[in-house]
Amino acid sequence: MAGNSGKAEEKEQAKQEAEIRVEHVTMQFRRAKDEASSLKEFLVRAVRRQHKYEKFKALDDVSFTVEKGEVAGLIGTNGSGKSTMLKIISGALIPTSGRVTVDRSKVQLLTLGTGFDPELTGRENVYLNGALIGYTKEFLDQKYRDIVNFAELEGFMEEKVRNFSSGMVSRLGFAIATAQDVPEILILDEVLSVGDMFFRQKSEARIREMIHGGSTVLIVSHSTAVIRNNCTKAVWIEKGRLRAVGDPREVCGAYEKLKDV
Amino acid sequence: MADSKQKKQYAFVVRQLTARELKRKYTRSFLGIFWSVLNPLLSMAVLSLIFSQLFRRSIENYPIYYLTGYILWQTFTGATTAALTTLVDNKMLLLKVKFPMELFVVTRVYTALINLGYFLIAYAVMLMVFGVTPKWTMLFSPLIIFCLFLFSLGMSYILAAAYVFFGDIKHLYTVILTLWMYCSAIFYPAEQLQGPIQLVIRNNPLFILINCLRKAVMYGELPLPLEIAQMLLWGFGVYLIGSYIFRRSKNKIMQRI
Repeated sequence: MAGNSGKAEEKEQAKQEAEIRVEHVTMQFRRAKDEASSLKEFLVRAVRRQHKYEKFKALDDVSFTVEKGEVAGLIGTNGSGKSTMLKIISGALIPTSGRVTVDRSKVQLLTLGTGFDPELTGRENVYLNGALIGYTKEFLDQKYRDIVNFAELEGFMEEKVRNFSSGMVSRLGFAIATAQDVPEILILDEVLSVGDMFFRQKSEARIREMIHGGSTVLIVSHSTAVIRNNCTKAVWIEKGRLRAVGDPREVCGAYEKLKDV
Repeated sequence: MADSKQKKQYAFVVRQLTARELKRKYTRSFLGIFWSVLNPLLSMAVLSLIFSQLFRRSIENYPIYYLTGYILWQTFTGATTAALTTLVDNKMLLLKVKFPMELFVVTRVYTALINLGYFLIAYAVMLMVFGVTPKWTMLFSPLIIFCLFLFSLGMSYILAAAYVFFGDIKHLYTVILTLWMYCSAIFYPAEQLQGPIQLVIRNNPLFILINCLRKAVMYGELPLPLEIAQMLLWGFGVYLIGSYIFRRSKNKIMQRI
């Protein structure tokens, strides 16, 4: 129990420093109205001066912070700007205005089955997928057995992934994605709720382990259950605007109300 | 330290992606990797059948003359046409991974280079069959291949970026390639053309590379200093321009994809 209060103190201290700081981020896409998708069309329109652009804000002045050690959930319906936000945080996109402060070398983005190739064998996919996620060859050599064991795929690894069931694929994806030591900032993009019931329990335990390993976590999901069960803070983005930040229960409640209407 | 670690990781990613490309390409065909060796030989046989009579006076050892041009040309077209669609093909990956998207372009060009390795096996066998003796000038070929790599990579950057915005680049490029091939003197002697077209051929970077390789392998001649300068200039020039354009359009590409 004493350890518990010590941890709370630690958390208080940690609150001083934000790990992910999103300040007034606006992402504007310039979208040509019925876009020219060929050079020919483009030239025809350039000659006729028919370039019409439509400005479209995927994110509009969004600010929030995720403190060190916090588990934040990012929620919103499809097309609300969640994934755009994620891309900006991970550095794939540069926002039109605003700033994101985060140490990108610490960020580990966790997604399932990034670049699985059905024509390759299970073993080859572990290496391909692992390389894409950012594991080194030595690391994969060392962890290979653990990954196979965790995914419960002994004896299948030399077969083509094409012949795997979808459950097997997601198990393998999950095992690879979580093989790493706990990173400092962990972003989970819809990775919970994978596989059958038994594996789901196993995978949730694994995620919880990572969450409680002291890393800062950002979970992206459109399932309120996931956010309620795991997060200490919820951020709700709707149509590119920040709708609410705060206690997961309250935010999820408000979100569900909107969804029911 | 962190930098070299990162480079190593990038190299690992490129190797893995290349392995995927090669496996994908060859697992479906019965002869597998053997095709890569066989293909240039078949093409050589066909062309020799027709043209070696025609160019009997101007080209000695026509099969080797053709094959030398063919393997370099194939490498270039293989690299650039594959790289053209790489960003669109790997759309899903692009949005999710952390490494720079240049690696996808590099992968396709590198794959073509590996293929060139297989071509070279066929080439070496044919050199022996047609009695071309080893010469010390052959040591020059790595530089030629290096320049070809840089040139292809630069072109690939430009094409890959353009294809994201304009889908018809693909068709346009096919036409350009045909024209380009005829201007590269792959299966006919360059000397037989006169006037402005001769000028075009002489300044065609691919012809320069092909010509230098022919001289080094077949005639035991070193490339002229001017040719070396041209080779390096084209290689580095196009590479720098290509990667500059690519870097500039990165954010736009991400938005578009």
